[in-house]
Formats: sequence, C-alpha cells, structure tokens
Amino acid sequence: MKRGFFISLVVLLLATAALHWTESDLRRDIPVIYWNTQDDENKRATVETFQQWRKEQGLPPVELRIDNTNQEPTKKLVQGLSGVGSDIMDLYAYEADLFPATGMIADVTEDAKRLGFSLAATYPALSGDFIFDGRQYGFPRNAGVNLNWVNRATFAKYHIPEPPQRWSLDEFEALGKKFVAAANPPGTRERVFFTNLVSRDVLRRGVGLANYNETDTRCTLDDPRNVQILERVRRWTVEDRLMPSREEGEAMSADISGFGSMFSHFVSGRFGMIYVGQWALIMLRHRGEFQLRAVEPALDGFPNTEMGGGSVGVYAGSKHLKESVEFLQYLASEPFNRLIVRIADGAPPVPKFAETEEFLRPAAHPNEWGSAAVFAQAARETGLTVSKSPFVLQSILFREEKELTEAMISGRLTAAQASKAMGDRINAEIALSVDRNPELRKLYDARMRIQRQIDARRAAGRPVPAAWINDPFHLAYYRAHGWLEKETAP
Amino acid sequence: MSTLGQRGSPRRRLLAGLAFLLPNILGFAAFTLVPLVMSFGIAFTDWDTLRHNIFRHESLRFVGFENFSWLFHHPDFLHYLGNTFFMMLGLPFAIAGSLGAALLLTRVSHRPVARRGAFIVATLLLTGSGLLLRLGGMGQTGVWCIFGVLAAGSLVAGVLTGGSVYRTLFYLPNFTAGVATFVLWKKLYNPQTGPINAGLAPVLDGFAAVVGSAPAVFSWGLPLACAVLATAVSLWQLWRLRQHWDDASAGAVAVITGLAMLALPQVFQLHWHGLSTGRALGLAAVGVTVAAVVILRRPRRWGPVCALDTGLSAEIALALGLVPLLLLFAVGVAWGSELPAAAAAGLTPPNWLGDYDWAKPAIMGMGLWAAIGSNNMILYLAGLSNIPPELYEAADMDGASSLQRFWHITWPQLAPVTFFIGVMGIIYGLQGGFEMARVMTMGGPAGSTTTLSYFIYIEGFETGRLGYASAAAWVLFALVFILSLLNFRFGNRSAND
Repeated sequence: MKRGFFISLVVLLLATAALHWTESDLRRDIPVIYWNTQDDENKRATVETFQQWRKEQGLPPVELRIDNTNQEPTKKLVQGLSGVGSDIMDLYAYEADLFPATGMIADVTEDAKRLGFSLAATYPALSGDFIFDGRQYGFPRNAGVNLNWVNRATFAKYHIPEPPQRWSLDEFEALGKKFVAAANPPGTRERVFFTNLVSRDVLRRGVGLANYNETDTRCTLDDPRNVQILERVRRWTVEDRLMPSREEGEAMSADISGFGSMFSHFVSGRFGMIYVGQWALIMLRHRGEFQLRAVEPALDGFPNTEMGGGSVGVYAGSKHLKESVEFLQYLASEPFNRLIVRIADGAPPVPKFAETEEFLRPAAHPNEWGSAAVFAQAARETGLTVSKSPFVLQSILFREEKELTEAMISGRLTAAQASKAMGDRINAEIALSVDRNPELRKLYDARMRIQRQIDARRAAGRPVPAAWINDPFHLAYYRAHGWLEKETAP
Repeated sequence: MSTLGQRGSPRRRLLAGLAFLLPNILGFAAFTLVPLVMSFGIAFTDWDTLRHNIFRHESLRFVGFENFSWLFHHPDFLHYLGNTFFMMLGLPFAIAGSLGAALLLTRVSHRPVARRGAFIVATLLLTGSGLLLRLGGMGQTGVWCIFGVLAAGSLVAGVLTGGSVYRTLFYLPNFTAGVATFVLWKKLYNPQTGPINAGLAPVLDGFAAVVGSAPAVFSWGLPLACAVLATAVSLWQLWRLRQHWDDASAGAVAVITGLAMLALPQVFQLHWHGLSTGRALGLAAVGVTVAAVVILRRPRRWGPVCALDTGLSAEIALALGLVPLLLLFAVGVAWGSELPAAAAAGLTPPNWLGDYDWAKPAIMGMGLWAAIGSNNMILYLAGLSNIPPELYEAADMDGASSLQRFWHITWPQLAPVTFFIGVMGIIYGLQGGFEMARVMTMGGPAGSTTTLSYFIYIEGFETGRLGYASAAAWVLFALVFILSLLNFRFGNRSAND
C-alpha cells in the first residue's frame, strides 16, 4: 500500500513537472499576451493585423492570444483582483467604470499622449467610457450609437408604412399598434412584435431627465417625468404588446441558442425593428442581403441616443505592460480602423475613417447604403454615453432600475411607486458609499457645493460654467438650451 | 493478507495514517476552514473589492454589526428571504415524490420477460419513425409521436428488464449536469414554443369550452362549493387535532404545526384578495394562536402523557395532502366567479418563468422533478429493503389494508430516513436556488426568484461588497443552524420513536 502511495505521488509530481515544462508560454522566447475577448473571425483578423502593424512599426514581435473563456464580468473581476487577469480586456457596459475603480486597469494617460491614442484621437462623446477623474484607462475598439434597424420587407409584408427618420412617442405608438394588429391576426401562435425594446434612458433624456443630477451626486429617477415614461413603457409592453417583456424576450432567445437570436427573429420577421448598434451588420450580413434602414429612436423633446462601444483596457498586473499598451496604440492606427470599416463592427474609433466611401457605401453591400451615414451623423450629433456617478456602481443602478421596472410591468408596483423606489434606493446607495469612503466623501462634498451653485444659478436664470457639469447628458442639454456660460461653451 | 494496521508501532501507524489523510486535511484547511474563518472576520469589516484588493491597499475598518444592521434595512432582504422559504415549501412534496417513486420501484416485478430484444427493436423503430415524421415536416405531430413512443418504450423496457430501466430513468436527473438541466427546462417552459404549454393549450381550450357551455349558476356555484368544501375540510382537521390532543396522540408542537399547515392556504387566499403578505401572515398567526389556545387549554382525559412533538410526523404527512387540496379550493374561491368570463376570452397557458406569480412555482416544479429521482429515492429504496418482512406478514394476518400497511408499518419504519432527508433538504434548500436563478431567470422577474444565495453572490461578486455579503452568508448559516437544531430537537425524537 505504502509503495503504491509513493509511486502515485512520484507519478503526479512528474506529470506536474512535465506539464509545467511543456507549457508553451515558458518555451516562447517572445512575450505572450492574452486578450480577453470573443473568439471569432473578426477578432482573429484583428490579431493578424496587429502583428503586421507591429512589423511595419519596427516593434519586436509578440504573440497575441485570444482568451474567450473568461468573458463573464464576474470572472474577469475575480481573476483580475486575484492577480491572474488577461493582459488586455474588453470593457463593456458597467465594467468600464467598475474595473478602473478597483485599480485593476492600468492608467495609460501618459502613454496615450506619447503614443497618440488620447481622447483627441476619437469621439469626445466617448470619453465617459474610458476616462475617469481626468485619467485615461483604455481606448475604444469601436464606436457607435444605437438606432432602430428597420427590416423593410417585414413592413412591406403587412402593408404598414415604414417609420420616419425622426419620430415622436405618439407616432411610434400609433404606427406600432397598426403594425402589431396587422401582423398578429386572431390565432397567431408566435407573436410578431413591433420592436425588440426601447431604451428607457433615451426616453427619459428626451424629456430632459438623466439618471443623475448635473454633478452625479443625486439620482433623479424619482422625478415625475420618469413616472410618465414608465407608464408608457408599461402600456407598450402589457397593453399594446408592441414589444416583449424582458422575460418574453429571453424566452424567445431560448428557441435559438446563442447570441444571434435577436437577429434571427429580426430576419424572420418576428421583430419589425431591432434597437441595436451598427455592429448588427456582422450578424446580419451572413444571413442574406436584406433591405435595411436605420431610424432614430422615437422620443419627445431632446434628440438623443445611446453612444458607446467596446473599450479595451490594459490589466494593471500584466507582465507585459509595454506590449499591451502598444495594442491600444494599434487601435488608433489606420490598419485597425480600416479593418473595423471592412468588417462593419460599428464605426471605427477614429472619426475620420467613418467619413470614407468604404464606410458610407460598402461596395459589396448596396442594401446597407444610407444606414451608415445615419449612424455616423447620430454619433456626431445625438450620441451620448450613459450617465455614471462615481458614488454608485453602474451595475447597482442597472439592477435596481431593471428590477423595479419589471415589478411595475408585472403590476406589483405603480409607476409612481417604482419611480420613487428607484430614487430612494440609489440615493441610499450613494449615502452608503460616501459614508464608508473618506476619499469619496471629499469628492461628494466638493461636488455638492457646486451643485448648490448650479441650482442657485438655474433658479436665477443665469448660465453656468461647463466645467461644473459632470454628467454627459446635462452638459449636452445645457449646451443645446444655451444655459452654459459663453466663455466656456465650445 | 497483511494490512498496514498490523505492522509497525502505533506511532508509525499514526504517521502513516496522517500521511494518507494529509492531502484531504490540507485541502479542507485551504479551501474550507480558512475561508470560513476569514468570512466570519470579513463580516465585521467594510471590505469592498473596489478599495481593498491587490491594487489598492486601503486599510480595512472594523464596523462591528453595521453590515448586519444594513442587511435588515435592505429593502429587498426580507423579500429574498421570503423567496428562499417559499422555495422550501417544495421540500415536503419532494420527499413525498421520492418516497412514491421508491415505493413504485419496489413493486415492479423482478422477472424479466422473454423476447425483450424484439420489444426494444420495435420501440427504436417507432421512435425512428417519429423522428422521420418530424424531419419530414410533421412538426408538432412528430414531436408528440417521439414523446409517446419513448414513453411507451420506457414502459415496455421497464416491464421487460424487471424495473432496472425504471431505476436508471428515475435516477437520471441526478447525474445530469445542473446547468444542462436548467437550460432544458427553460426550453420546456417556453411560453410560446415549449412542449409544456403546447400540451396545456388544447387542455385549456377544452376546459374553456366546457366552462363556456356550463349554466350560469356555475359562476357563483363554483366558489360557493369550494368555500363549503374548504370549510368542511378545515373543520374536520380542527376536530381531528382536538381529538388527537385529547387522547394524547398529538403533542403541542404537532397541534400547532397542524394548525399552521391549515392556515397556510388561508394566507394565500387573503393575499389573492388584496391583503399584503405581512398582513395575511399576521391574520393567519392570530387565527393559529386563537385555535391553539382553545385546543391546548383543554384538559386531557388521561393527563399530559405525551411529549411536545408526539404525532409531528403524522401532521406533516397529512399536510402533504391537505395543503394542496385546500389551495385548490382557495383558487376556486378566489377566481371561480371569474372563470366563465376568462374561459369565454380564451384560457392561455402561463408564461412560466416570465410571470411574477408563476416563476417560483415553475422553478419549484423543476426542483420537484429533480428531487423525485434523486439520492433521496435511493435512500428510501435502501430503507424499504430494511423493513423486516415479518411486520408485513403480521399485518396481512390481521387483515390490514394497503393504506394501513403503509401508515402503520412503512411510514414509521422509514422515519429515520425521512428525518435524514428532511435535515439535508432544509440545509440544501436554504443554501440553494443560486444556479437556477442564474441560469433560468437571473433572479427575475422583479426579484421573484432571487434567493439568499443569489443575493450573496450579487453583493459579493457583482457589487464587490465582501463584508456585506459575508454578513448575509452568516445570517444564512444562522438560519440553517437554527432550523437544523429544531429539526434535531423535534424530528429526531419522532424518528427514533
């Protein structure tokens, strides 16, 4: 027995050593860096172009490997904070502020200035996705706004006129009702929806309301304007059935596995429109040549849409920081931007490449002509990144807003109760963060002083300096209404 | 054959034993004991991954019981706790299901039948035909053919192989990966294309047609009949509890448990009539207290000759039948009058995972399916095989019916197994719900399927508040501990009696 035990031990030790020495990273004489992203042909093309670009730049070779097994945000966070994160990470949605806040994403401000991938190289409106407290933590891999893609064949099939380029909420509702009535005669088993979703953020911004106040010190979702928006969303979901509830949407996606279910339903005509970015073309092109249009999201008041993209950050614990930072430099280069144009993964991060003929009218896809220009114009004029507060995580706001909206849609709360609860809960979270973090308390107190000044000036009808406003929506809103001091307005 | 234990000095034997145990001890210490102790310490600090990690070195602050205090002020903590307990309501049904499965499996003939090969080939051929129909465009019909043939095939194969196929089939959920099962059930529950609703739709259509053609008296007659029946059943149970108290076959705990089980459907009834859950529970608690005082204050004919928990297991077993029956009546009372109008408009199957009120029962239904063919069934099978056959022979000689055999021999003889399953079920039940919520509903809709374990995950790993999440985890531990203690205090004795 003892002999067997020791033989097993020796075999295990030998196997461990063999595994260790055969690990290719150790045998490579060039740095191996890992990029946490999806493994698809576009990303592989990106890697290939990166290698060519390095050669052209005379940079020493590196091996860039795609790590697509750890994309789940929690995995990224736990691995990053445990010291074993990928060298380069895609940062989506709430990761973009959460990860830099933990310190696991490297501050690349100085490198960006030196290597030419600072904010000046991309859309200023995207700053909220990778610049925090004036420091840069990455660079966008693509840029884009969300618009409504219209499947023209679906509208033609039901003899319903196509939506106008810019439309109000009442126009949306009227056309939507006509559409679902025509598309769902009695006995329809698989319901056809007018759209897959509407952005509540966009609707709220339309009526002049953001998630937070000007200095991001207070959540303003308890505003009566939010009640009106929530009531409309409930009506569209529950009564008019213009769009599925979140659960219905998820149930629909359970039919078709994977990421592309929304696009399959769009192509098959179960959604008249889908609200998504220009990157949808990646998913649509291989499904055929459809007659497509892009129209703005319906709203009342201030024209806006959601802007954002996939930012890429460098892991602060990377063993190859220099090479990883060079990847960000590559994102601002011509070869990469031309690649983004070619594969239609949204708009290229450097705006001038979105003005090329190749982007606006791709020769191989005449059915898409026109839509690219609409996306480019929206990115320039109406695109706004999401409002974020340094005093509360975006994931908390997202979760509470979603849960309370669902409670309202399921009839457990009125719109007024849901709206009030949103404000109360997020403001309680802000109070909690500020109480526990002395650094945040200082920042909060400073911003509150400014907020009081803003409120006083607004009450007196006087303009305010742009530098006082932290929230991207309020900045754009104030600018559009001429409420900024002239000397600070661009 | 020489063994290790027969060689060397006791000291050498001890060292050898420790050497064998060391990997396990090290693993336990590194991955269980140390994290456990750490999490207890973390629960009293402000550990936030945003500020306390390998990249930021802010010092941890001791915050005393602040995390626990915030926990109970969290607007949804009690909601999630309620969800956790609601999911636990499936435990008695899971126990009954696994016991039922074990009882059925012990009754299957152990004599294999000849020509089994021919039957299996016929089943495969029929299944293949169903598949061809499906591929040939028969759609729904083909799917139903496959289901039908597979069911018939299982039946035939079970009979032919003397029950071993059944045992395998029943145990199948236990060695199927959880996530795969959840994805499968998500598809089964699909409100539009799932087979459950596809099967329910014609049934509901038929039911609606029957209700539609019923006389007008139906609209008020159904709720009235349900109310009368519910009252009759409740009064019978009250009378029964009083009798059992009088003749000392039920202790105080058993009586109170019986009353609580009786009140449970009333809580739902009150809630469906618009009362908040808290108020409904409050009213039910008052009702239970009054009834308990009335019954327990009655002097016993022969004095207090039984323990507090005497008859507890009988009350729980009875509740398994009584509670669903009363719930059915409660549904009839609440919605019976609306049924004709609803039937006229067309009855539609529920949006199982998407509807706030259906999501929890849907998840419980899936849990029940998994629990019936789980290790519990194996434990019951083992328990059943250990019951001395002389007891049944004696019962047969006394002319006992099947029900009497079960109630007076099988059920008491299985009490230790039931006790063990109950304890483990409560422990796993309180800790459970995470995987299902994560895969099937993401805790929604509106937090209706968020359990404490999922809440702990969100707070710890999505929000990064490790101190807060640890406090929640220790509250969960306290709950498990208290319930297990109660179980041991009352259940263990009844099991060993």
